[in-house]
Amino acid sequence: MRRRALVTFCGLLLLSTAGLSAHHSFAAEFDSNKPIQLKGTVTRVEWINPHTWIHMAVKDADGKTEEWMIEGGTPNTLLRRGLTKQSLPEGTEIVVDGYRAKNGSNRANGRDVTFPDGRKLFMGSSGTGAPRDGRDGSEK
Amino acid sequence: MIKRFFTIAASVAMLSPLCALVQAQQSAAPADSTAGKKWTTPRTPWGEPDLQGTYSNRTITPFERPANVAGREFFTKEEVAALEKRAQEQSGDEGRAKGTRGDVERAYNDFWWDRGTKVTTPRTSLVVDPADGKVPALTEEAKARAADEGKRPSFRGAGANGRGTDTWLDRSTFERCITRGMPGAMSPTAYNNNYRITQSPGYVAIQIEMLGGARVIPTDGRTHIHQSIRQWMGDSVGRWEGETLVVDTVNFTDKVLYRGAAENLHLVERFTRVAPGQIDYRVTITDPTTFTKPWTLAIPYVDTGEDMFEYACHEGNYGMEGILSGAREEERAAAGKGK
Repeated sequence: MRRRALVTFCGLLLLSTAGLSAHHSFAAEFDSNKPIQLKGTVTRVEWINPHTWIHMAVKDADGKTEEWMIEGGTPNTLLRRGLTKQSLPEGTEIVVDGYRAKNGSNRANGRDVTFPDGRKLFMGSSGTGAPRDGRDGSEK
Repeated sequence: MIKRFFTIAASVAMLSPLCALVQAQQSAAPADSTAGKKWTTPRTPWGEPDLQGTYSNRTITPFERPANVAGREFFTKEEVAALEKRAQEQSGDEGRAKGTRGDVERAYNDFWWDRGTKVTTPRTSLVVDPADGKVPALTEEAKARAADEGKRPSFRGAGANGRGTDTWLDRSTFERCITRGMPGAMSPTAYNNNYRITQSPGYVAIQIEMLGGARVIPTDGRTHIHQSIRQWMGDSVGRWEGETLVVDTVNFTDKVLYRGAAENLHLVERFTRVAPGQIDYRVTITDPTTFTKPWTLAIPYVDTGEDMFEYACHEGNYGMEGILSGAREEERAAAGKGK
């Protein structure tokens, strides 16, 4: 049991640290103290290096529309997972849970991106592993 | 309690020298599984060992040997299974505490990343020499240099980090889309762990997906360029020793660090195709001004059969703008509070 705990700890260490090896520091760009949820429609997708950006139109409480940008993964990996520029057509409704940019602009990183019914937008295969946090009905 | 465990684990991970650890997707039989079978390296039409193909070096094998397997060169089958199971689970959401720096860094899940979930060698560390699986201690000289890094005109680190946020020069060469250094560029990271090797008579070329670029290595017997000429990726010359491509690299610049080493690095890389779909990659790292003794990494390169994609990192590096402007905004906010 103790040994299993150690192995588990080691595994955690591996995985937790690996997240730090992205191209740039997300934590320097986005604020962990500013979680944000955005509901809106995709206006366009910037399919660019080093990271993709999803542009979305979000209506505020007064009905005014604001443009937001959501930082995504490298297009190289997304392409290998079967996603293309056409996968998110204009008008697609999405819900983004993420963290707002430190500079106060309408930018956020997408911790979770789902369709309004809760399905994951980026649903990994069993080999890629998508988050299991109960929000996606297919997890049950 | 469990939550606290995860929090502690994440905190330790942030500080751990194991930060260089990465993970892998593809399963690969360890090199020695082919022992006993007669397999010979294919040849190019001009008679050299044929290393050509597209490879990934992602792996969850630890960079340095973890304390819980000290003194052991290989994981047991059970430990490999546990590591892979954990990697699979961790590639999702478990253990991520919302509202933490670690959660922001991990962003999404393995749909976006390509760290993989497989142990590609049952070794307990990628460091195979010294025998303890640990990077040798730094020299006193290297420690003194490290203490003075802040005085340099630009940050020389090559990870996803910085020494500050006053200018882009405070950010790493990785964030600046320049290089991960050597042998950083030949080591796995969170994604884009892909390499294409092509050969022609007298040359071997290695295209590197992460940050782009290619190493064109002459194997025609020429010697190194003059030591006054310094390059980000150094100067490489290759030769064939039996089935192995041996690449000797010197003449690095002083502008990027690999674990504290820079212009005095001397690398000897060995590429050996040990199975139809696998190259055994080894690099011996020598720098008496930085490390107390030479050390060697062994990283499996596994044939993916996939295409390579361009990674023009400067194309939309909004992240750099976001980091610097975010720091300015925080300064303004702090100044406002002080009034």
